[in-house]
Amino acid sequence: MVTRLTLLKELASIIPEDLIVVSSIGNNSGFWGQLVQREANLFHATLGMCTPAAFGLAMALPQRKILSLDSDGNLILNMGVLGTIANENPTNLTILVMDNRNYLGSHKREPGMPTATGGKMKLEQVAKGCGIESACTVHEAAGLREKVNMALSKSGPHFICAQIEPLDLDRPGKDKRVPDPRENKYQFAKYIERTTGVEILGGGLGNFG
Amino acid sequence: MKLEKAKLVVQGLKEAGVDFTAGVPDSQFIEVYRMLAADPEVRYVGTANEAEAVGVGFGAWFGGKKPALILATSGLLVATYHLARVNILHEVPLLVVIPYRGDIGDPRWMGLYKKTTEPGLDAMDVPYRVVSRSEDIVRTIKECNESARAWLRCIAVILNEEALW
Repeated sequence: MVTRLTLLKELASIIPEDLIVVSSIGNNSGFWGQLVQREANLFHATLGMCTPAAFGLAMALPQRKILSLDSDGNLILNMGVLGTIANENPTNLTILVMDNRNYLGSHKREPGMPTATGGKMKLEQVAKGCGIESACTVHEAAGLREKVNMALSKSGPHFICAQIEPLDLDRPGKDKRVPDPRENKYQFAKYIERTTGVEILGGGLGNFG
Repeated sequence: MKLEKAKLVVQGLKEAGVDFTAGVPDSQFIEVYRMLAADPEVRYVGTANEAEAVGVGFGAWFGGKKPALILATSGLLVATYHLARVNILHEVPLLVVIPYRGDIGDPRWMGLYKKTTEPGLDAMDVPYRVVSRSEDIVRTIKECNESARAWLRCIAVILNEEALW
């Protein structure tokens, strides 16, 4: 079975610079921040917030492609969002779930408690049942490449469940600083302002401006 | 609630520049939700729960929207983890509009929300204003949204029975 790191390296090699990536907390953000040096990243979306945040961005910026780099435990906490997304139909949104079937956390050397996907739940079928027609499961890097390229070239929403190793024994070095949530907020917001023309941060003066 | 009071809430949101709303419908505030859903200027996204609405509003803010969450007092409890995180850790501004149940004049069983709403907002470090007069609805929503965006903080407007019903 493929590792998270292998798939993230593959993802980093194929996505365009202007693809907005929203990543969940834990190893998705930690590894992604070590692998890539790009401005279009919103890191550290906590449990239940990754795909909703990516969906909100997709609604606000219909001219941009958005990728939710989510995980099984994170998505399951707010799984109703898949029904919301199916009904709102953001064609620019792709959800990529790293499904390791356990609550691993960031640094563990042994599997955590199982998520529902460690039992009977199949996320591809859940997504389809929620109304997301373009839903699939991949098991290795070539499959991920094919499905991500398809998702970025065709109208979505798309859902890709990537089955990965339960443990992250294959880890990147820690030679980069992954920005903390506030630092990332300013960096990312300024990037969106510069590349889309929208105003996000404002003057900060309120009525005193 | 009276229709003219619901119109004041929507007017306040629009005059405040709010252009994106999310939440879960509350029967006591249903006229507001219906008006928002029918108004393209304040795009309404109906979510499966209120925590999801916080995430959607958070993402919409990063896309340049001026988001507001329309939450019942019960829904505020559902939203707490994500709202606390967005407010305290990320410092991203979301306006939160709450019809106040459990205050004077409501049935006894709604008293739960008197015990949870204001203390809950305090615990999440979310500043708020309680509006008791309908003539203050529009102005207060505008002022709170202005401050939320200037401070990069979530701010709540709580509309109680005297203002709404």
